[in-house]
Amino acid sequence: MSITRRNFLAALGAGGMSMLPISRGWAEDLPTSLSGTNPIWIPSTAPITPVPTNYTAVGRVIVIGGGMAGATVAKYLRIWGGSKVQVTLIEPSTAYVSNIMSNLVLNNQLSLSSLNFNWNRLVTNYGVQRVQGTVTTIDPVAKKVFLSGSTTPLYYDRLVVAPGIEFDVIPGLETAAAQAQIPHAWKAGSQTTTLRSQIQNMAAGGTFLMSIPKAPYRCPPGPYERACVVADYLKRYKPGSKTIVLDENAGIIAEAKTFAQAFASLNVDYRPATAVAKVDPVNRVVTTATGNTIKANVLNIIPNQRAGAVLASNGLVNVGGRWAGVDVLTYASTVSGAGNVHIIGDSSATTQPKAGHIANQEAKTCADAIVRLFLGLQPDQQIMTNSSCYSPISSEQASWLTAVFAYDPVSKTMKVVANNPAEAPVPSSDNLKEMRQWFSNLMCDSFA
Amino acid sequence: MLKYVSFVVIGLVAQATAIAQVAGTPPPGRLLASNCFQCHGTNGKAVSGMESLAGKSASELKSQLAEMKAQPEGRIMDVHAAAYTDAQIAAIAAYFATVK
Repeated sequence: MSITRRNFLAALGAGGMSMLPISRGWAEDLPTSLSGTNPIWIPSTAPITPVPTNYTAVGRVIVIGGGMAGATVAKYLRIWGGSKVQVTLIEPSTAYVSNIMSNLVLNNQLSLSSLNFNWNRLVTNYGVQRVQGTVTTIDPVAKKVFLSGSTTPLYYDRLVVAPGIEFDVIPGLETAAAQAQIPHAWKAGSQTTTLRSQIQNMAAGGTFLMSIPKAPYRCPPGPYERACVVADYLKRYKPGSKTIVLDENAGIIAEAKTFAQAFASLNVDYRPATAVAKVDPVNRVVTTATGNTIKANVLNIIPNQRAGAVLASNGLVNVGGRWAGVDVLTYASTVSGAGNVHIIGDSSATTQPKAGHIANQEAKTCADAIVRLFLGLQPDQQIMTNSSCYSPISSEQASWLTAVFAYDPVSKTMKVVANNPAEAPVPSSDNLKEMRQWFSNLMCDSFA
Repeated sequence: MLKYVSFVVIGLVAQATAIAQVAGTPPPGRLLASNCFQCHGTNGKAVSGMESLAGKSASELKSQLAEMKAQPEGRIMDVHAAAYTDAQIAAIAAYFATVK
């Protein structure tokens, strides 16, 4: 990432120049267009809520992971907790690549670089301390963590773990070379651009085959959205091509009406209850669990998913061998003796979907609870969260989905409120316009 | 009269002390209202396209949300607003009205 004059000035702002009306631009906030119209990205002068200096909450919080959940909790711990709540964000990467909108890289509507975010604004605007590294050891008894390659402990009063997801290994795709050849592209990054190249280099009349993992997985509508976006692209630019979707689930699990209609109009060959057993990456052949073999020109196999590795290696995965159990009032771990470890986002086992928009709200719930705990108060018992998102169905139209959840004290879970969830009556170009606004505000609420 | 005045003064001091002790206590409605921030910006200060909610009068916000709740479910906010009780909507509206 190059240092531009603008983010150099922003960096100076951290050194006591924050009262000056300096630009807070990022290297990434170059105007990027979607369908050649309005800019999609965050304006360089997003409003900032100051960190109060007169609040009484005192504590040290370490946040592991700087995705949607981790970035949001770091920001909100500061603006809701005040300056005496110290927040350290530990993340190995130099940039966060948004998974949201990344299907639009596949059809060339967005560049991958336009989806790059970083944590500079959390540092300069909110005083979050950033550490680049990977946590290997969590010790909830001594309240400390260790970074890979370091024997110096980092101490906390409350730990928030938001590592995202890990992928199962598909038989036949055990090697790094095979995985690079058959990208899942379910963590946006180099695999996304590899898949884009494969789709764009496919000859007209070819076959694109993708698989949908068993739920729960990250972003329930995401794979169906991808199938539509790619099928729409192939219809426009690769006449005679075919899109096959193998879904391990019994049917479409999100926006069922929208995607069923879109699959019909785009001639998507959708096969529910079809699991992938193995893949031959050289010949590009998939074998299903029932022994059928299907050959394709481009394969996009999205593996089944589980909690981040740091949770499994530290004994914090206790639901179905895959996910981390939490109390949804505070997101504290349900593992005995690990109550000072909070797990938010895709790794946690809740009734809520695994997705960036609701991870942002889980983060706010967690930040509010931690601030209350530092003040000696009880957590709020009347928690509401929401999952709302827009899905592109083609290069010109999008759909939406919304679900609101309320805490149910009897089951101690988040339950979807009656009459929710709902999906858009029909995909529209207005929804595509709103999608840009939603994305800009969501990313700004999380990273700026 | 003097007794009465000193009683009032002591009362005010006690109240001020109580407020000082709890600076930073989460205000009512804030966590609930934060469900709006993803689309309408942190504290209701939108950055792009969406309506800003910060500083709007509580009665205006309440009537807007009540109108959405009454709509058939054609738009995303119609469905979304319908999920909140009138008391929750009042708390959300009261919070945004306090944001400067």
